[in-house]
Amino acid sequence: MRSLLWSWLTLLSHYRRHPSQTLFLLLGLITGVALWSAVHIINAHARASYAEADQLLDAQASHWIQAPNGRVALSDYVALRRAGFRQVYPVLELRLSTLDNQPLTLIATDLMAMSASRTSPTQEQSNSRVDMRAWSQLSQPPYAVWVPASLANSLPLQAGQRLTLRDGRQLPPAVTDSQPRQGQRLFMDIGAAAITLGETHLSYLAVGAIDPAELKRLDQWLNQYAPQLKRRSNQQPLDLTELTASLHIHLNAMSLLAFAVGLFIVFNAVRFALHSRASTLTTLRELGVSARTLTSAIVLEGFTLSLIGTALGLAAGFGLSQLLLPAVAATLQHLYGAVLDQRLLLQPQVLLQAWLLTSVGLLMALVWPLWQRSRQGVLAQRQGVDVLQQEQRSQRRLAISAAVLLAIALLSYPWLNSLAHGFALLAALLFAGAWLLPWLASQCLHWLSQNAKPGLAQWCWAEGQVQLGPLRPALMAMLLALTANFGVDNLVGSFRQALDNWLQQRIAADVYVQSEQLDAHQLSQYAWLLDSHERNGLRLRWQGRPTLIRGLDPSAPDVQQLPMASQSYPQGGAAWPDDGILANEQVQHLAGKQLGDVIYLPLGNGEQQRFTLAGFYYDYGNPYFQFYLPYQRVAQLWPNAQPQGLALWLDEDANMTEVEQALVEAGAQPGDWIDRRAILQLSLRIFDRTFAMTAAINTLTFAVAGIALLAALLAIHQQRLPHYAHWRAMGVSWREWLQLTAVPLALCLMLTWVLSIPLGSALAWLLIHDINVLSFGWTMPLQWQGRPALLLALLCLGVTAIAFAIAALQVRQRLPYALKQLGADE
Amino acid sequence: MKQWFCSVPVLALLLWAGPGYGQQANDVYQVLRDGDGAAQFAPVVPGYTLDFPQDHGPHPDFRIEWWYLTANLEGANGQHYGVHFTLFRQALFAQQQGLEHASPWASGQSWMAHAAISQGDKHLYEERFARGGIGQAGVQSQPVFDAWLDDWQWLGDGPSPLPGQLTLSIQGQPLTLQLSSNKPWVLHGEQGFSQKSEQGQASYYYSQPSINIVGQWQPRTGDSVALTGQGWLDREWSSQPLAENQSGWDWFSLQLADGHKLMAFRLRHSDTEQHYYSGSWITPEHKVTPLNSDDIQLTPTGFDVIDTAQGEKRIPTGWQLSLPTLKRQWQIKARSANAWLDTLFPYWEGPVQVFDNKQAVGVGYLEMTGY
Repeated sequence: MRSLLWSWLTLLSHYRRHPSQTLFLLLGLITGVALWSAVHIINAHARASYAEADQLLDAQASHWIQAPNGRVALSDYVALRRAGFRQVYPVLELRLSTLDNQPLTLIATDLMAMSASRTSPTQEQSNSRVDMRAWSQLSQPPYAVWVPASLANSLPLQAGQRLTLRDGRQLPPAVTDSQPRQGQRLFMDIGAAAITLGETHLSYLAVGAIDPAELKRLDQWLNQYAPQLKRRSNQQPLDLTELTASLHIHLNAMSLLAFAVGLFIVFNAVRFALHSRASTLTTLRELGVSARTLTSAIVLEGFTLSLIGTALGLAAGFGLSQLLLPAVAATLQHLYGAVLDQRLLLQPQVLLQAWLLTSVGLLMALVWPLWQRSRQGVLAQRQGVDVLQQEQRSQRRLAISAAVLLAIALLSYPWLNSLAHGFALLAALLFAGAWLLPWLASQCLHWLSQNAKPGLAQWCWAEGQVQLGPLRPALMAMLLALTANFGVDNLVGSFRQALDNWLQQRIAADVYVQSEQLDAHQLSQYAWLLDSHERNGLRLRWQGRPTLIRGLDPSAPDVQQLPMASQSYPQGGAAWPDDGILANEQVQHLAGKQLGDVIYLPLGNGEQQRFTLAGFYYDYGNPYFQFYLPYQRVAQLWPNAQPQGLALWLDEDANMTEVEQALVEAGAQPGDWIDRRAILQLSLRIFDRTFAMTAAINTLTFAVAGIALLAALLAIHQQRLPHYAHWRAMGVSWREWLQLTAVPLALCLMLTWVLSIPLGSALAWLLIHDINVLSFGWTMPLQWQGRPALLLALLCLGVTAIAFAIAALQVRQRLPYALKQLGADE
Repeated sequence: MKQWFCSVPVLALLLWAGPGYGQQANDVYQVLRDGDGAAQFAPVVPGYTLDFPQDHGPHPDFRIEWWYLTANLEGANGQHYGVHFTLFRQALFAQQQGLEHASPWASGQSWMAHAAISQGDKHLYEERFARGGIGQAGVQSQPVFDAWLDDWQWLGDGPSPLPGQLTLSIQGQPLTLQLSSNKPWVLHGEQGFSQKSEQGQASYYYSQPSINIVGQWQPRTGDSVALTGQGWLDREWSSQPLAENQSGWDWFSLQLADGHKLMAFRLRHSDTEQHYYSGSWITPEHKVTPLNSDDIQLTPTGFDVIDTAQGEKRIPTGWQLSLPTLKRQWQIKARSANAWLDTLFPYWEGPVQVFDNKQAVGVGYLEMTGY
């Protein structure tokens, strides 16, 4: 025990003497853990939020009462309250746009109605004065709107400022404040919101906790007095968990990649630390410390480091998650309507998982060199072995492993049908590439060295072989970062391109109007109106998922050019097949339906209607299943279907002011319409927000790879400093030194970059062709882009140059000292 | 997570406390004293002639108003029941002319209601809130008297609240009362102008102290109970009923066996022992003799310690009430100390018995605030 303690302390003293190594080891651990835990914290937080999605502003909403047209009359709400349904409270939920088309959601309710009747002593009394002032501001003129701080920053909006909406209306003065369950939404008192935005109806009613007898009475009441209102039990927690699962797996996979890249730094640092302590280890053995005790001491050291790394990494990860949360929250809100709290909690299981992950990573880094050492006798260790031979052996082993991994991946590909399998394939591809890299680099250097003229050039390539060993993990990290960046850049680029094309076709009309009061016929008198398309629809559940039914005019211009993924009937004026139905791609890929399959949809009366799938259309960004049918057919099958908006095609010379005037005269209100440009802008903005998180993690991964490279270079140079002193003594000039060390490095990195292009392309292909389809049910063509590759080459060059410059500078500083040592030795 | 929910009562408090909030953060009753805020609203002045049934309805130009029923009832099971129901109206801000028609949400009125029933040491109560303007709560006197908040409702047969019917549920347990009276309305103070301090704070205040009640109470468990007895309705409105130094009040409504009624209150001053007293001595025919500080003596004679949300409170539940000028004196005892309402505006309100030399000579209700 005593010898273990002393061995452990002796080993640890190394880190005190080499602070830069300590720094890089910890940096690797911290960045890896931080990135992983940040995503993990956000994911766990999001899942916890879904579980509470049946709450509205912290009051439970077990059911919603909705009108098919999305507008509940105030009188119906009051009648419900007066009938004794005190669990019911009103909600106004509006989608707004800022002047520059930023999408916003506003939620408003009546807090007086929500305040439960107090019938017993309550201990819960808030005494925050700031809160109170805010409350009073909410309900009294000039009113106030609560804006979550992160949203206020992004708008940007200062406290006290009024936000101007796209239609020119102004919200009350902003108060930067948010409460649990508000998410990234604006909050107002319902009265204030109704007055400010001219709303005469409610969006829906929320029903709090209610017992079964009351629920039955509520249904009877609705049936008798307000048959147009429908009660729907709140399945949001269930739906959200299911709908968002793919997104969270994506995030998790990215965070694991970041963690892996972090581990490469650790690999490097740990192995270098062991290497530079080779003599200490041997001395300890010679002093009689058993190999077992020594191994235990090294493992203990690993655990010590993992504890420190985990603690600091988690702290950094928590901070990072605070930074990334708004982006994720915005994505979830816009894509799925999921509301995330702005307050993050660190759960104990995350602590434990992070520590386990680090420990496993460290052990993996330690096992290989320890095993190698254990196979050598004490004497052999002192004498040293042929490092180069050993390195070449491990390169070969890695290359063979890579080939095996690739073979397994390729063989298992035809059976790919789950997301986990998809990400496993991705990981296999990435690691196979990473493991192949050293061997490829070595072969390349070997070939060059064989074909080089004897002299400096040959020396240069030989020196490259020597550097390749310690540089190996950094190169692999760089390859992973480059590949991930290139692959995801291609994915995002392809997606944006596909979305843009699709939107151009799909959002073909010039103006979209959503208004209850609009008399569409009144517009037909205007000469500037070329065409119009009115839709109806409803929402139901099919295959356990929220599903949208839309009725449209098959002859309308946008339906004629509906971007189809596959179809069995001719477009362009052909008659709609009798029982035919068009479905979005999600139905094909997520529900596993094929062209010509028969499906049944529930009608309002409890019966089912049979349809044959006649085609699948692209429907990017829609988390729901969606079906298209002719307008009349929807109206006939579902009498409760409601108007879903009107699309207008205008003459080229149409004056927008005139059009707006006509819309107002036809009954629409300002804010009821949106023009094509704005809707396109809005869609792409939501898209960009969705991928903000991806970009952020990728950039961070690249930064980690840069650190790995710097750490490796510093380690190499420190290790080789005595050699450099010899070279210098032999008359190698500084310029020659630069050439000898920089050229092979540049070659290795160039190889890394070159390899990242096919690997990244394969990654993007896999993401687009398989993983994306499995996750979201969307397909799109891969748009291979060369620009990101060039950009990454520049970035890689920059990072390398900086790392090399720092390392070279250190060599220059230390070389005189090394030369002195050389003299002393001799 | 909890914080939002906590804030809901706080919000209501703020709505009720209005802009004057913050000077005395811990005293929700500050709204009744706030002189600056009161300036936006109609003042209470002497010489106003009460006009019925018009004045049974709301007075939105005044800041605060209530319809307040208390009753001592006898159950068919032989048990005594105390009931009280209050509907409060408060204007959060003075209504801008014309805006009230722009949107139902533009109303500055808010409503709060309390209902409580006590039997022996049991005490059940419930509190509700609603905003005005949208129809969820309100009072009207035409075409028939109607006062409501959600499904609590006092509906008159005609424009007057009496005769009428009160329908409530307290914690889900229904209570209905048929109310009637054949006696004239009683105007307190100078023809309904009831002064509350030497500085001029006042309210308009009238009552019906002789209400015959027949009713039905359906407790959660057990049979429904038929109730009969006497009730008392108070109507009062003001824009600033309390002076700055008045910390609370003790208010008595007594119904004596000989047919006389007595309303008496004292407004306690925080800076002096000289409290402000006022009251009305009412004959069986409802002839009124106004009483002032020289006519009323009130002395606490017994205390109980009650557990409340704000901690333990020492509440006077036994009193000696003397009217020296009328040479009358009674001992008043709460039927049970358990009548504290931990509502937004916390107070004690419960049935009392009136004794004259240990002999029970009447019943009544006692309300105490500011403890």
